[in-house]
Amino acid sequence: MSRRSQKKFEEIVRRFVELKDTSELMIDLAYSALLLNSRELAEEVARLEERVDELHTEFELQVLSSGFKKEEAKGFLGLVRLGVAAEKIADAAAQIAEVVLRGVEPHPVLKLAIEEAEETITYVHVAENSPLVNKTLKEAKVPEETGMWILAIKRGERCIRPKPDTTIQAGDILIASGYAEGEEDLKRLAAPSQDEFE
Amino acid sequence: MAFEKIEYKPIPVRELLREMKNLSELMIDLAYSAALFNDRELAEDVLELEKRIDTLAYQLEMVTMIAARDAEDAEALVGVSKVASAADKISDAAADIAAIVIRNIGVHPIVSEIFERVEEHLIKVKVHEESVIVGKTINELDLAPRMGVDIIALYRKNDWIINPKAEEKIQAGDVLIARGTSEGLKELMALCEGKLDKLED
Repeated sequence: MSRRSQKKFEEIVRRFVELKDTSELMIDLAYSALLLNSRELAEEVARLEERVDELHTEFELQVLSSGFKKEEAKGFLGLVRLGVAAEKIADAAAQIAEVVLRGVEPHPVLKLAIEEAEETITYVHVAENSPLVNKTLKEAKVPEETGMWILAIKRGERCIRPKPDTTIQAGDILIASGYAEGEEDLKRLAAPSQDEFE
Repeated sequence: MAFEKIEYKPIPVRELLREMKNLSELMIDLAYSAALFNDRELAEDVLELEKRIDTLAYQLEMVTMIAARDAEDAEALVGVSKVASAADKISDAAADIAAIVIRNIGVHPIVSEIFERVEEHLIKVKVHEESVIVGKTINELDLAPRMGVDIIALYRKNDWIINPKAEEKIQAGDVLIARGTSEGLKELMALCEGKLDKLED
Protein backbone atom coordinates (compact mmCIF):
# COMPACT_ATOMS: atom_id res chain seq x y z
CA MET A 1 0.00 0.00 0.00
CA SER A 2 1.37 3.39 -0.93
CA ARG A 3 2.32 5.91 1.69
CA ARG A 4 -0.38 8.24 0.51
CA SER A 5 -3.15 5.72 0.90
CA GLN A 6 -1.73 4.58 4.23
CA LYS A 7 -2.12 8.15 5.45
CA LYS A 8 -5.62 8.37 4.08
CA PHE A 9 -6.61 5.16 5.84
CA GLU A 10 -5.22 6.36 9.12
CA GLU A 11 -7.27 9.52 8.81
CA ILE A 12 -10.46 7.51 8.20
CA VAL A 13 -9.82 5.16 11.07
CA ARG A 14 -9.05 8.06 13.41
CA ARG A 15 -12.40 9.57 12.58
CA PHE A 16 -14.10 6.25 13.22
CA VAL A 17 -12.37 5.97 16.61
CA GLU A 18 -13.78 9.36 17.54
CA LEU A 19 -17.23 8.22 16.41
CA LYS A 20 -16.98 5.05 18.47
CA ASP A 21 -15.64 6.75 21.58
CA THR A 22 -18.27 9.48 21.42
CA SER A 23 -21.12 7.01 21.09
CA GLU A 24 -19.90 5.03 24.10
CA LEU A 25 -19.34 8.19 26.12
CA MET A 26 -22.95 9.10 25.35
CA ILE A 27 -24.23 5.87 26.88
CA ASP A 28 -22.31 6.53 30.12
CA LEU A 29 -23.54 10.12 30.26
CA ALA A 30 -27.12 9.19 29.38
CA TYR A 31 -27.43 6.66 32.21
CA SER A 32 -25.87 9.15 34.62
CA ALA A 33 -28.29 11.84 33.43
CA LEU A 34 -31.15 9.46 34.15
CA LEU A 35 -29.82 8.39 37.53
CA LEU A 36 -29.29 11.94 38.72
CA ASN A 37 -32.18 13.40 36.78
CA SER A 38 -29.69 15.88 35.35
CA ARG A 39 -30.98 18.02 32.53
CA GLU A 40 -27.51 19.46 32.02
CA LEU A 41 -26.00 16.03 31.32
CA ALA A 42 -28.94 15.04 29.15
CA GLU A 43 -28.39 18.18 27.09
CA GLU A 44 -24.74 17.25 26.73
CA VAL A 45 -25.85 13.89 25.31
CA ALA A 46 -28.19 15.63 22.86
CA ARG A 47 -25.32 17.89 21.72
CA LEU A 48 -23.06 14.89 21.29
CA GLU A 49 -25.68 13.18 19.19
CA GLU A 50 -25.50 16.04 16.73
CA ARG A 51 -21.72 15.79 16.78
CA VAL A 52 -21.97 12.06 16.04
CA ASP A 53 -24.25 12.73 13.08
CA GLU A 54 -21.70 15.19 11.70
CA LEU A 55 -18.79 12.87 12.32
CA HIS A 56 -20.62 9.98 10.75
CA THR A 57 -21.34 11.97 7.60
CA GLU A 58 -17.74 13.15 7.35
CA PHE A 59 -16.55 9.59 7.88
CA GLU A 60 -18.79 8.15 5.18
CA LEU A 61 -17.85 10.88 2.71
CA GLN A 62 -14.21 10.22 3.37
CA VAL A 63 -14.62 6.50 2.78
CA LEU A 64 -16.60 7.11 -0.42
CA SER A 65 -14.07 9.53 -1.84
CA SER A 66 -11.09 7.31 -1.15
CA GLY A 67 -11.26 5.31 -4.36
CA PHE A 68 -10.51 1.94 -2.90
CA LYS A 69 -9.37 -0.86 -5.12
CA LYS A 70 -11.75 -3.74 -5.53
CA GLU A 71 -9.75 -6.03 -3.24
CA GLU A 72 -9.73 -3.41 -0.50
CA ALA A 73 -13.41 -2.57 -0.76
CA LYS A 74 -14.66 -5.46 1.37
CA GLY A 75 -12.44 -4.56 4.30
CA PHE A 76 -13.78 -1.04 4.18
CA LEU A 77 -17.36 -2.18 3.90
CA GLY A 78 -16.77 -3.68 7.35
CA LEU A 79 -15.59 -0.29 8.59
CA VAL A 80 -18.60 1.47 7.06
CA ARG A 81 -20.90 -0.94 8.89
CA LEU A 82 -19.05 -0.28 12.14
CA GLY A 83 -19.79 3.40 11.57
CA VAL A 84 -23.49 2.68 11.11
CA ALA A 85 -23.53 0.65 14.32
CA ALA A 86 -21.78 3.41 16.29
CA GLU A 87 -24.38 5.86 15.04
CA LYS A 88 -27.16 3.52 16.15
CA ILE A 89 -25.60 3.28 19.61
CA ALA A 90 -25.49 7.07 19.78
CA ASP A 91 -29.19 7.23 18.86
CA ALA A 92 -30.03 4.79 21.63
CA ALA A 93 -28.09 6.92 24.14
CA ALA A 94 -29.97 10.00 22.94
CA GLN A 95 -33.25 8.13 23.49
CA ILE A 96 -32.26 7.52 27.13
CA ALA A 97 -31.34 11.18 27.59
CA GLU A 98 -34.62 12.24 26.00
CA VAL A 99 -36.54 10.69 28.90
CA VAL A 100 -34.87 13.29 31.13
CA LEU A 101 -35.33 16.14 28.66
CA ARG A 102 -39.04 15.41 28.40
CA GLY A 103 -39.37 15.85 32.12
CA VAL A 104 -40.42 12.28 32.82
CA GLU A 105 -39.85 11.85 36.54
CA PRO A 106 -37.40 8.91 36.65
CA HIS A 107 -39.08 5.84 38.11
CA PRO A 108 -37.28 4.57 41.26
CA VAL A 109 -36.77 1.28 39.49
CA LEU A 110 -34.36 2.97 37.07
CA LYS A 111 -32.08 3.94 39.91
CA LEU A 112 -32.08 0.38 41.21
CA ALA A 113 -31.34 -1.00 37.77
CA ILE A 114 -28.45 1.34 37.04
CA GLU A 115 -26.72 0.22 40.24
CA GLU A 116 -24.23 3.04 40.40
CA ALA A 117 -23.58 4.79 43.66
CA GLU A 118 -23.73 8.26 42.22
CA GLU A 119 -25.27 11.02 44.25
CA THR A 120 -24.10 14.09 42.52
CA ILE A 121 -22.57 15.37 39.38
CA THR A 122 -20.02 18.12 39.25
CA TYR A 123 -18.18 20.16 36.64
CA VAL A 124 -14.71 21.31 37.61
CA HIS A 125 -12.31 23.50 35.74
CA VAL A 126 -8.64 22.40 35.78
CA ALA A 127 -6.44 25.37 36.69
CA GLU A 128 -2.87 25.77 35.49
CA ASN A 129 -1.47 25.22 38.97
CA SER A 130 -3.37 21.97 39.48
CA PRO A 131 -1.25 18.89 40.22
CA LEU A 132 -3.46 17.09 37.72
CA VAL A 133 -2.09 18.99 34.71
CA ASN A 134 -0.11 16.81 32.29
CA LYS A 135 -0.91 13.67 34.22
CA THR A 136 -2.63 10.70 32.63
CA LEU A 137 -5.80 9.52 34.33
CA LYS A 138 -3.93 6.44 35.46
CA GLU A 139 -1.34 8.63 37.19
CA ALA A 140 -3.82 11.19 38.51
CA LYS A 141 -5.72 8.59 40.61
CA VAL A 142 -8.72 10.87 40.95
CA PRO A 143 -11.14 8.20 42.23
CA GLU A 144 -8.66 7.09 44.90
CA GLU A 145 -7.98 10.68 46.02
CA THR A 146 -11.50 12.06 45.93
CA GLY A 147 -14.01 9.26 45.50
CA MET A 148 -15.19 10.99 42.32
CA TRP A 149 -15.35 9.19 39.00
CA ILE A 150 -14.54 11.14 35.83
CA LEU A 151 -17.32 10.59 33.31
CA ALA A 152 -16.05 12.89 30.60
CA ILE A 153 -13.52 15.59 29.85
CA LYS A 154 -14.64 18.72 28.04
CA ARG A 155 -11.84 20.28 26.06
CA GLY A 156 -12.99 23.25 24.03
CA GLU A 157 -15.68 21.98 21.71
CA ARG A 158 -14.77 18.36 22.26
CA CYS A 159 -16.05 15.98 24.85
CA ILE A 160 -13.60 13.15 25.47
CA ARG A 161 -14.26 9.71 26.85
CA PRO A 162 -11.67 9.15 29.57
CA LYS A 163 -9.20 6.33 29.08
CA PRO A 164 -6.32 5.37 31.40
CA ASP A 165 -3.77 7.07 29.14
CA THR A 166 -5.76 10.27 28.54
CA THR A 167 -3.69 13.27 29.68
CA ILE A 168 -5.39 16.03 31.66
CA GLN A 169 -4.67 19.54 30.42
CA ALA A 170 -5.02 22.97 32.00
CA GLY A 171 -8.34 24.43 30.93
CA ASP A 172 -10.10 21.06 30.77
CA ILE A 173 -13.48 20.75 32.38
CA LEU A 174 -13.90 17.46 34.21
CA ILE A 175 -17.41 16.08 34.44
CA ALA A 176 -17.39 13.80 37.46
CA SER A 177 -19.87 11.93 39.58
CA GLY A 178 -19.76 10.41 43.02
CA TYR A 179 -20.73 11.10 46.60
CA ALA A 180 -21.42 14.67 47.58
CA GLU A 181 -18.48 14.83 50.00
CA GLY A 182 -15.96 14.12 47.23
CA GLU A 183 -16.96 17.21 45.30
CA GLU A 184 -14.94 19.68 47.41
CA ASP A 185 -11.88 17.42 47.31
CA LEU A 186 -12.03 17.27 43.55
CA LYS A 187 -12.46 21.04 43.25
CA ARG A 188 -9.44 21.58 45.47
CA LEU A 189 -7.39 19.13 43.42
CA ALA A 190 -8.40 20.70 40.10
CA ALA A 191 -8.03 24.31 41.17
CA PRO A 192 -5.88 24.73 44.29
CA SER A 193 -6.10 28.22 45.76
CA GLN A 194 -2.75 30.03 45.91
CA ASP A 195 -2.12 29.69 49.63
CA GLU A 196 -2.80 25.97 49.53
CA PHE A 197 -0.44 25.53 46.65
CA GLU A 198 3.05 24.66 47.71
CA MET B 1 -34.10 -19.89 13.58
CA ALA B 2 -35.61 -21.06 16.86
CA PHE B 3 -37.07 -18.44 19.15
CA GLU B 4 -37.68 -18.99 22.80
CA LYS B 5 -41.39 -19.25 23.50
CA ILE B 6 -42.67 -16.27 25.42
CA GLU B 7 -44.42 -16.88 28.69
CA TYR B 8 -45.11 -14.31 31.34
CA LYS B 9 -42.86 -14.65 34.37
CA PRO B 10 -43.17 -12.40 37.40
CA ILE B 11 -39.59 -11.08 37.31
CA PRO B 12 -39.03 -7.66 38.92
CA VAL B 13 -38.57 -4.83 36.38
CA ARG B 14 -35.46 -3.82 38.26
CA GLU B 15 -33.80 -7.14 37.50
CA LEU B 16 -34.89 -7.27 33.89
CA LEU B 17 -33.69 -3.76 33.19
CA ARG B 18 -30.42 -4.23 35.05
CA GLU B 19 -29.65 -7.32 33.04
CA MET B 20 -30.57 -5.63 29.76
CA LYS B 21 -28.36 -2.66 30.56
CA ASN B 22 -25.37 -4.72 31.68
CA LEU B 23 -25.57 -7.23 28.87
CA SER B 24 -25.99 -4.60 26.18
CA GLU B 25 -22.91 -2.75 27.40
CA LEU B 26 -20.86 -5.94 27.53
CA MET B 27 -22.04 -6.76 24.01
CA ILE B 28 -20.60 -3.54 22.61
CA ASP B 29 -17.16 -4.38 23.98
CA LEU B 30 -17.33 -7.96 22.79
CA ALA B 31 -18.64 -7.01 19.36
CA TYR B 32 -15.97 -4.43 18.59
CA SER B 33 -13.28 -6.83 19.70
CA ALA B 34 -14.78 -9.56 17.54
CA ALA B 35 -14.83 -7.29 14.49
CA LEU B 36 -11.44 -5.73 14.92
CA PHE B 37 -9.60 -8.93 15.70
CA ASN B 38 -11.77 -11.07 13.45
CA ASP B 39 -12.78 -13.36 16.31
CA ARG B 40 -15.63 -15.61 15.27
CA GLU B 41 -16.15 -17.15 18.66
CA LEU B 42 -16.66 -13.76 20.30
CA ALA B 43 -19.02 -12.78 17.49
CA GLU B 44 -21.10 -15.89 18.16
CA ASP B 45 -21.24 -15.01 21.85
CA VAL B 46 -22.61 -11.61 20.90
CA LEU B 47 -25.38 -13.16 18.80
CA GLU B 48 -26.30 -15.48 21.68
CA LEU B 49 -26.54 -12.50 24.02
CA GLU B 50 -28.68 -10.68 21.48
CA LYS B 51 -31.28 -13.44 21.68
CA ARG B 52 -31.16 -13.27 25.46
CA ILE B 53 -31.81 -9.51 25.42
CA ASP B 54 -34.70 -9.93 23.01
CA THR B 55 -36.34 -12.36 25.40
CA LEU B 56 -35.73 -10.00 28.32
CA ALA B 57 -37.30 -7.17 26.32
CA TYR B 58 -40.48 -9.23 25.82
CA GLN B 59 -40.59 -10.02 29.53
CA LEU B 60 -40.07 -6.42 30.53
CA GLU B 61 -42.77 -5.19 28.23
CA MET B 62 -45.28 -7.61 29.70
CA VAL B 63 -44.33 -6.74 33.26
CA THR B 64 -44.69 -2.99 32.64
CA MET B 65 -48.04 -3.55 30.91
CA ILE B 66 -49.38 -5.31 33.97
CA ALA B 67 -47.93 -2.71 36.33
CA ALA B 68 -49.66 0.25 34.67
CA ARG B 69 -53.18 0.60 36.05
CA ASP B 70 -53.88 4.25 35.35
CA ALA B 71 -52.54 7.34 33.59
CA GLU B 72 -50.22 8.16 36.44
CA ASP B 73 -48.64 4.69 36.38
CA ALA B 74 -48.27 4.94 32.63
CA GLU B 75 -46.45 8.26 32.92
CA ALA B 76 -44.13 6.82 35.55
CA LEU B 77 -43.41 3.70 33.53
CA VAL B 78 -42.97 5.16 30.05
CA GLY B 79 -39.40 6.15 30.97
CA VAL B 80 -38.63 2.56 31.95
CA SER B 81 -39.93 1.23 28.70
CA LYS B 82 -37.99 3.82 26.65
CA VAL B 83 -34.75 2.97 28.45
CA ALA B 84 -35.35 -0.74 27.92
CA SER B 85 -35.94 -0.20 24.24
CA ALA B 86 -32.72 1.84 24.05
CA ALA B 87 -30.78 -1.04 25.65
CA ASP B 88 -32.39 -3.33 23.09
CA LYS B 89 -31.26 -1.01 20.27
CA ILE B 90 -27.73 -1.01 21.64
CA SER B 91 -27.73 -4.80 21.61
CA ASP B 92 -29.02 -4.75 18.02
CA ALA B 93 -26.14 -2.48 17.03
CA ALA B 94 -23.70 -4.85 18.72
CA ALA B 95 -25.23 -7.76 16.81
CA ASP B 96 -24.80 -5.79 13.55
CA ILE B 97 -21.12 -5.45 14.41
CA ALA B 98 -20.83 -9.17 15.15
CA ALA B 99 -22.50 -9.93 11.82
CA ILE B 100 -19.55 -8.30 10.03
CA VAL B 101 -17.49 -11.25 11.27
CA ILE B 102 -20.13 -13.95 10.90
CA ARG B 103 -20.86 -12.94 7.30
CA ASN B 104 -17.15 -12.95 6.45
CA ILE B 105 -17.05 -9.29 5.53
CA GLY B 106 -14.35 -8.47 8.05
CA VAL B 107 -12.48 -5.24 8.42
CA HIS B 108 -9.31 -4.34 6.59
CA PRO B 109 -6.20 -5.47 8.52
CA ILE B 110 -4.97 -1.89 8.51
CA VAL B 111 -8.00 -0.91 10.58
CA SER B 112 -7.14 -3.49 13.24
CA GLU B 113 -3.52 -2.40 13.15
CA ILE B 114 -4.38 1.24 13.85
CA PHE B 115 -6.94 0.24 16.42
CA GLU B 116 -4.43 -1.81 18.36
CA ARG B 117 -2.44 1.34 18.93
CA VAL B 118 -5.31 3.40 20.31
CA GLU B 119 -7.67 0.98 22.01
CA GLU B 120 -7.33 -1.32 24.95
CA HIS B 121 -7.44 -4.99 24.18
CA LEU B 122 -9.94 -7.54 25.31
CA ILE B 123 -9.46 -11.25 25.83
CA LYS B 124 -11.60 -14.21 26.64
CA VAL B 125 -9.82 -16.90 28.61
CA LYS B 126 -10.83 -20.03 30.47
CA VAL B 127 -9.50 -20.61 33.98
CA HIS B 128 -7.82 -24.02 34.20
CA GLU B 129 -8.04 -26.14 37.33
CA GLU B 130 -4.33 -25.82 38.04
CA SER B 131 -4.31 -22.04 37.78
CA VAL B 132 -3.12 -20.15 40.86
CA ILE B 133 -6.00 -17.72 40.60
CA VAL B 134 -8.63 -20.40 41.37
CA GLY B 135 -10.22 -19.66 44.74
CA LYS B 136 -8.90 -16.10 44.86
CA THR B 137 -11.23 -13.11 45.01
CA ILE B 138 -10.98 -10.39 42.41
CA ASN B 139 -9.87 -8.08 45.18
CA GLU B 140 -7.01 -10.41 46.14
CA LEU B 141 -5.86 -10.66 42.54
CA ASP B 142 -5.48 -6.88 42.46
CA LEU B 143 -5.10 -7.02 38.68
CA ALA B 144 -5.49 -3.36 37.84
CA PRO B 145 -2.50 -2.05 39.84
CA ARG B 146 -0.48 -5.23 39.21
CA MET B 147 -0.79 -5.51 35.46
CA GLY B 148 -3.20 -2.89 34.18
CA VAL B 149 -6.01 -5.37 33.58
CA ASP B 150 -9.69 -5.38 34.55
CA ILE B 151 -12.04 -8.35 34.56
CA ILE B 152 -15.20 -6.92 33.01
CA ALA B 153 -17.28 -10.08 33.00
CA LEU B 154 -17.16 -13.76 33.68
CA TYR B 155 -19.12 -16.62 32.27
CA ARG B 156 -19.96 -19.38 34.73
CA LYS B 157 -22.34 -22.31 34.29
CA ASN B 158 -24.24 -20.76 31.38
CA ASP B 159 -24.63 -17.43 33.10
CA TRP B 160 -22.91 -14.08 32.78
CA ILE B 161 -21.68 -12.16 35.78
CA ILE B 162 -21.03 -8.64 34.60
CA ASN B 163 -18.70 -6.24 36.43
CA PRO B 164 -18.01 -8.92 39.05
CA LYS B 165 -17.72 -7.59 42.59
CA ALA B 166 -14.41 -7.41 44.48
CA GLU B 167 -15.37 -10.33 46.73
CA GLU B 168 -16.26 -12.64 43.82
CA LYS B 169 -14.11 -15.81 43.93
CA ILE B 170 -12.69 -17.18 40.70
CA GLN B 171 -13.65 -20.80 40.08
CA ALA B 172 -12.02 -23.37 37.82
CA GLY B 173 -13.89 -23.42 34.52
CA ASP B 174 -14.86 -19.73 34.65
CA VAL B 175 -14.41 -17.90 31.39
CA LEU B 176 -13.05 -14.43 32.01
CA ILE B 177 -13.48 -11.42 29.78
CA ALA B 178 -10.72 -8.99 30.62
CA ARG B 179 -9.62 -5.66 29.26
CA GLY B 180 -6.30 -3.88 29.50
CA THR B 181 -2.79 -3.50 28.16
CA SER B 182 -1.58 -6.25 25.86
CA GLU B 183 1.32 -7.24 28.16
CA GLY B 184 -1.02 -7.40 31.14
CA LEU B 185 -3.48 -9.56 29.24
CA LYS B 186 -0.71 -11.93 28.16
CA GLU B 187 0.24 -12.32 31.80
CA LEU B 188 -3.36 -12.93 32.85
CA MET B 189 -3.76 -15.51 30.12
CA ALA B 190 -0.65 -17.37 31.30
CA LEU B 191 -1.98 -17.27 34.87
CA CYS B 192 -5.40 -18.60 33.84
CA GLU B 193 -3.89 -21.40 31.80
CA GLY B 194 -1.63 -22.40 34.67
CA LYS B 195 1.52 -21.57 32.70
CA LEU B 196 2.52 -18.95 35.21
CA ASP B 197 2.26 -19.95 38.83
CA LYS B 198 3.09 -16.77 40.66
CA LEU B 199 1.35 -13.44 40.95
CA GLU B 200 4.04 -10.82 40.71
CA ASP B 201 3.97 -7.74 42.88
